[in-house]
Amino acid sequence: MKRSLLALALSVLPALAAAGDLTVDHPMVPLAPPGSMAHAAFFTITNTGDTPRSLIGVTAPGYHMAHIHRSEEINGVATMQAMHQVDIAPGQSVTFEHGGLHIMLMHPAAPLAEGAEVPLELKFANGETLSVTATVMRMMHGSS
Amino acid sequence: MRWLAALMLALGLTTGAQAQVQGVELDAPVVLPSFAFSDENAASFTDADLTGQWTLIMFGFLSCPDVCPFTLGNLEAAVAETGMRVRPDNLPRVVFISVDPARDADYISEYARFFHPDFISVTGARDQIDALVTATDSFYRLMPPDNTGYYEVQHSSAVSVIAPDGTLRAKLQPPFDPGLTAEFLARLQISYRKELSQ
Repeated sequence: MKRSLLALALSVLPALAAAGDLTVDHPMVPLAPPGSMAHAAFFTITNTGDTPRSLIGVTAPGYHMAHIHRSEEINGVATMQAMHQVDIAPGQSVTFEHGGLHIMLMHPAAPLAEGAEVPLELKFANGETLSVTATVMRMMHGSS
Repeated sequence: MRWLAALMLALGLTTGAQAQVQGVELDAPVVLPSFAFSDENAASFTDADLTGQWTLIMFGFLSCPDVCPFTLGNLEAAVAETGMRVRPDNLPRVVFISVDPARDADYISEYARFFHPDFISVTGARDQIDALVTATDSFYRLMPPDNTGYYEVQHSSAVSVIAPDGTLRAKLQPPFDPGLTAEFLARLQISYRKELSQ
């Protein structure tokens, strides 16, 4: 039930950002526990054009700093790694999701409630920037 | 054509079996050392608190954007599922221990409670953290800081399962599927009771 509600919520959200050949779908920040010094932002970015594009950075005015990160589990140890570039090939989508790529947002200026909006600015290697507004949503945890 | 069906069946069975692995029961119970942790309100969590109930211990840190909140969210769902399989007094208590007291000690209490009012989060002195990390065969590492002073923390993703006699009995492993984790915990409790009655 919860899962279908989330699916419904996701399906009615419009593609919230598009600039030229890049589209960002379902940008969200999981509602974080009090005391969290780091939030994550997740989304799917699609390159509808015919030239490769590279995400090289992100800024988030509501935070002290923002990094492109990748979570990885290596031999039972959870690690994170800063990513300097994420390539999106023509016609391809790259999904930032739990256990993989995420935007790490450090030190929120203020606590964020469910439904709050988090502005992000994605920076690309060709100098272009893309403004995205992520919504704070409660993560659902169910059996797959 | 028949071999294709056989291959698909074999593959299906293989992935099915892998999906069942949400925990590993230890060959022999591990006795834990004495330890003492606390939160910023001086609420404590010590080895004495392990006695008489099941406990799940997770190591993490508050600057953890993805893995720690996801794990605690799944553990909340797993404990809820476990509640459909075991008596209420056998519901495990979830304890989050920060391995990063320098950054987390002032805010630690609220963190786990966000996921469930009965979850607790604590931290403590480095020797206490190290003692319990070692005893549970866990791991963490504070990485060298960058030029802003920011540092990453690596930590074990597994969760330790402690029986009501205070011994480490099993490890839960990602992805902590709630239903499968609950099934694993319920079976572990059955084998624990059998052992006690022998």
